[in-house]
Amino acid sequence: MAVKVNLHQTLRQFTNGQEMIEVHGNTVGECLKNLVKKYPAMESSIFANNGKLSNVVEIYLNLQSAYPNELAKPVKDGDEIHVTMMLAGG
Amino acid sequence: MLSAEELDRYGRQIMLPQIGEEGQERLKRAKVFIAGAGGLGSPVSIYLTAAGVGHLRLVDHDIVDITNLNRQVAHWTADVGRRKVESAREKLSKLNPNVTVETLNTTISDKNVSELVSGFDLIVDAMDNLPTRYLLNRTAIEHGVPFIHGAVNGFEGRAMTVIPGKTACLKCIYRGPVPESKFPVIGVTPGVIACIQATEVIKYLVGIGDLLGNRLLAYDGLNLKFTEFKVQRNPECEHCAHL
Repeated sequence: MAVKVNLHQTLRQFTNGQEMIEVHGNTVGECLKNLVKKYPAMESSIFANNGKLSNVVEIYLNLQSAYPNELAKPVKDGDEIHVTMMLAGG
Repeated sequence: MLSAEELDRYGRQIMLPQIGEEGQERLKRAKVFIAGAGGLGSPVSIYLTAAGVGHLRLVDHDIVDITNLNRQVAHWTADVGRRKVESAREKLSKLNPNVTVETLNTTISDKNVSELVSGFDLIVDAMDNLPTRYLLNRTAIEHGVPFIHGAVNGFEGRAMTVIPGKTACLKCIYRGPVPESKFPVIGVTPGVIACIQATEVIKYLVGIGDLLGNRLLAYDGLNLKFTEFKVQRNPECEHCAHL
């Protein structure tokens, strides 16, 4: 499945400024694993040491929250994943 | 009942068919709790005061620092070293003496939060840290009042409105603790987000429009883009699943 991943601006430093990256996979998790294979420096910004998503990361699939069990959510051709970061400032 | 001065003062918003005199009277009767008198709390409190919300309770434990002045627009250079709530109260009272601006220089904690928000129609989240946001989220649900969330970082911000038992709450999308850090921010970002929060407050109090329930509105100031993400209630949410 070809899926577009829309990257939060803090992650675009790893893609030379590119916002949208096309990856393949059958689930959100596979897509993100393939994304970090392309851009290994991005891995620690998305995943915690235990391979789970970092707590600051939020995943939306076709503009809908993928929480909980984000990585297991199936995807289909043309889907769009947004990888965003939680904000805490005020 | 609105006075002749109030009819003049609020004339341009009373002209709105969605507000009118009846809506303005609703605003006058309302009691709004604002948690934080900083980057978000300053513009939220200024706009709600200008709009004629009758009673504001503004809570913050901080002192004005010169590093606050790029964004915390209720505080000015001469206020450095003063308590934020006192600095804000002075400006708000001058802006609109019809509004009761009650200020408390205290830290919102598990021990006092329920008493602090008791009797208020809604809670505005203008905090700068996640633990207090979740504490206020839970308290809003316990008291059955809306929680108007806003947060910022850099050129980015977000807002969401929680209606207990009806829409997703902050805890519904909670992924776990995150480390606290000093965040970068340009003052216009909390200005944008605070105006969205104040808009939500006014709409809720008057009973008009469509609130940001089950919708997380993300703002990207650098690219001037708003994205709306749909969120849903979590049946296992620690805060609101029982409702």
